[in-house]
Amino acid sequence: MKKTLCSILLSTVALSLSAQSTVKIGWFGPETGDSALWGQAELATVKMMAEDYNAKGGIAVGGKKYKVEIVGYDDKGDSVEAVNVVKRLIYQDKVVAIVGAQGSGEAIPVAPLVNEAKIPLVASTATNPKVTVNDNGSINAFVFRACFTDPYQGKVAAFFASQKLKKQKAAILMTIDDPYSTGLSQYFKESFEKLGGKVVAEVSYTSGEKDFRAPLTKIKAANPDIIFIPAYYNDVALAAKQARELGIHQLLLGGDGWPSDNLISLAGKSLEGCLFINHLDMDGPEAKPMRDEYKKKYGKNAELNSYMVYDALSMVVDAMQRAKSVEPAAIQKALTTTNFKGVTGNIRIGKNHDPEGKEAWLIKIVGPDMKFQEKFAAK
Amino acid sequence: MDYIQGIAVLIGINLIAVLGLSILTGFTGLFSFGHGGFMAIGAYVSAIVSSRLDLPHPIAFPLAILAGALSAALISVFIGKLTLNLKGDYFCIATMGFGEAVRIILNNVNYVGGARGWANLPQFTTWWIVLGLCIVCVVVTWNLINSRQGRNLVAVREEELAAQMAGVDVFRSKMVALIVSAALAGIAGALMANYIQFLRPTMFNMAKSTDLTIMVIFGGLGSISGTIAGTILLVSLPEVFRNFAQWRLVIYGLAVIVIMVGRPQGIMGGVELTPSGIRKIFAARRAKAKLDAELKAAEQGEVA
Amino acid sequence: MDQFLQQLVNGLSIGSIYALMAVGYSLVYSIMNFSNFAHGSVIMLGAYFGFFALTSFGMPFTVAFFVAFFGSAAVAVLLERLAYKPLRDRRAPFLYFIITAMGASIFIDNSVIATIGPTPKTFPTDLLPAFLQGDPLEWGALSVGRIDIAIFVVAVISLALLILFIDFTKLGKAIQATAYNMKASALMGINPNFVIILVFAIGGGLAGIAGVLYGMKYQVFPQMSAITLKSFIAAVFGGLGSLQGALLGSLLLALIETFVSGYLSTQYRDLFAFLILIAMLVVRPSGIMGKVAEDKA
Repeated sequence: MKKTLCSILLSTVALSLSAQSTVKIGWFGPETGDSALWGQAELATVKMMAEDYNAKGGIAVGGKKYKVEIVGYDDKGDSVEAVNVVKRLIYQDKVVAIVGAQGSGEAIPVAPLVNEAKIPLVASTATNPKVTVNDNGSINAFVFRACFTDPYQGKVAAFFASQKLKKQKAAILMTIDDPYSTGLSQYFKESFEKLGGKVVAEVSYTSGEKDFRAPLTKIKAANPDIIFIPAYYNDVALAAKQARELGIHQLLLGGDGWPSDNLISLAGKSLEGCLFINHLDMDGPEAKPMRDEYKKKYGKNAELNSYMVYDALSMVVDAMQRAKSVEPAAIQKALTTTNFKGVTGNIRIGKNHDPEGKEAWLIKIVGPDMKFQEKFAAK
Repeated sequence: MDYIQGIAVLIGINLIAVLGLSILTGFTGLFSFGHGGFMAIGAYVSAIVSSRLDLPHPIAFPLAILAGALSAALISVFIGKLTLNLKGDYFCIATMGFGEAVRIILNNVNYVGGARGWANLPQFTTWWIVLGLCIVCVVVTWNLINSRQGRNLVAVREEELAAQMAGVDVFRSKMVALIVSAALAGIAGALMANYIQFLRPTMFNMAKSTDLTIMVIFGGLGSISGTIAGTILLVSLPEVFRNFAQWRLVIYGLAVIVIMVGRPQGIMGGVELTPSGIRKIFAARRAKAKLDAELKAAEQGEVA
Repeated sequence: MDQFLQQLVNGLSIGSIYALMAVGYSLVYSIMNFSNFAHGSVIMLGAYFGFFALTSFGMPFTVAFFVAFFGSAAVAVLLERLAYKPLRDRRAPFLYFIITAMGASIFIDNSVIATIGPTPKTFPTDLLPAFLQGDPLEWGALSVGRIDIAIFVVAVISLALLILFIDFTKLGKAIQATAYNMKASALMGINPNFVIILVFAIGGGLAGIAGVLYGMKYQVFPQMSAITLKSFIAAVFGGLGSLQGALLGSLLLALIETFVSGYLSTQYRDLFAFLILIAMLVVRPSGIMGKVAEDKA
């Protein structure tokens, strides 16, 4: 009898000691569907980060230590499902902040939700300007992002093409029903022409397409100096192969849809010497610790999204620590004044809730590697 | 509106669309791969009416829903004229083409946002509106099926040639089914637009059309209560089984085959959950029990 | 002029693939009188069979090719026995067949996604036969890929063999007879079950070859069945039930599509395909070369 009482007492004490405070952070993204590769990479990364934090006893906020619990849901790359899971995160799981939203098509519809519920959201790679700034100019108070936006990216790409690579005539091959692709190509074209260049051909294909020969033949006939392909790695690899087969030997330039382990293995030699803009140098020294840890834990290379969501979650933790609170309202306020160095560069949140003057990195494909060339930060 | 209410709204919206599809597929025997297209039309037209035209608040939404339903119905008349005279498979392929065509066209119309989508639509859809409309639609569907027109539809499904000889205007019956199903899909689309507050053509692609059809099949072709049960099940189950998300469609595909081969009446078994339906079940059971007892008595009588 | 010729070549190469896909589909239609919507999934499986035979099992290329042929044929027959035969025996309404086919397609596609994964795979060039490995053949500004030539040749040979088989062998005549009237030919001593299995096997095998060639030309990925919507349209365009029609319809459709995207706009290319389909169905539902559709009473 005494023994049982003792053990009950002991376990109660032990339980209450270990019943440390937990802070719940939500994540949503495409674990299934076309973008599953990136969604799965993101979830794996935030889980890895949570484990790291908790191994050190949790994150220190305002004198207290909090264990981090990640609640992640699959939005299947679908806008309706995104709204559904974010509601679940906010109302059922009662998270204090959300990271993820790798697709602008999923980030945009949840903006009104987080604004109304007053839970801050930090998007990882949603680059469409409308994610943070609405059509009428108002800013979504509770939405932030860790990445640069498409207008910025387009400007940088045009700058590299025109001023650094000294190309005068550009052709563009874009995915007509993907707003990322059309947006990026539109911004590229504007900047390129403002810098004195000329866009001699603008052709498109629909997503899911595997045969690019018809639009590529048109590009060949226009004889450009450089071809800008603002699309995802899968389409790029195919298009590059087919372009080379058609006898198109011009340099290809791309955006942040390119970087992936699979890009070079799918494209073979067709992308040799080609360049693209990235949010960071994935093979560089700043990313190395995270890259190694990810590889050790999961056995494969981290994707671009891993680094971006790493910074998104770091932004949230940083905000909590500066605000000395885990209350959503306080986190949101602190996020507006974010200014720190993440694995993807300097993140200084401006009045649009976008990082201002974030560096864009020009990467060249040399053999099986992606080699950093130079970086560029706009005013 | 919180999470649970959100799920309820989604069930309601899908139910309205699926009721329409049930009339077309379950009761009239026409298989459509393109009802996502009608939902899209309803959604976009309703969005235009509720956001682009500056109408005063109380009448904006009902008007928008009406506009959505009417435009979907109108387009269905056009499509119906072209395709309803064709054989079953041709109709399927044509509806598939229609659904995709709507999506492609919408992708290219910048006035409604094109491929990048249309954000910040007003939040008009409330749980009560959805519930109310659901009830209305169920009642309408019920009345349609149990009317003479409804029996005509079933006749067309069962044996088209015989129905025609019996005096049923086959083309007109099919057209009625198509129009009603399109209108209902249009209403569902309108509600969806003002719930998600965001529209994008991919929301209504072939996957959506297929989802709707699967809901009809699960519930059982030819049963309204089945349709309701099937929809509730298929919209809420994925929430419960989130861990198995990857296998959801695998299971659905297999289930469709098994249902079609084994039990086409679906969950409800072709029985309607109404007082008379329930009475019928009990009556059948009593009759069977009586028959078994009589057989047994006869056997014993013989032995004895 | 150069651009025109190149677009012509582009169109013919896509058309050959559509043709291989469409013929299998059309063959099944002519016997069973229903559209096997699961055909696309069989094509996809064929590509995967060929891919894994070549890479994971290290078989020589020709063997892998035949693995794809027989593997897909087996899948098609299995599908028929497990899913369609029960429906046929019960004389289920034709609607059930389509729904079942759709279910089978969803099941197969998603099984592959859930197990093997959704990322595309490419056929490693060094494992392909030597004559396919070189650079494309060029005549002036015209460039023709080696795989495209191979596809065209394989398509023509397969179709020629098939037509010879159907028109000149006893078994082929048995198939024709069953297509014309299943009950009457059964009375004449032709086993309908055997004919059906044969037809599904041939259709499935052709689908498998189409899948491998498609995979070699582009990539191997689970969503391949979506591409086959085009081959359905091609088959309808050329006339469902007619093999020559399937070939003609495929080539024509591909050429029209290519020229539309080359000279007009790539955006509306798919739209054009659907409009052609609708126009065809309204004006001449039996397609260019199809038989007049009988009433399905």
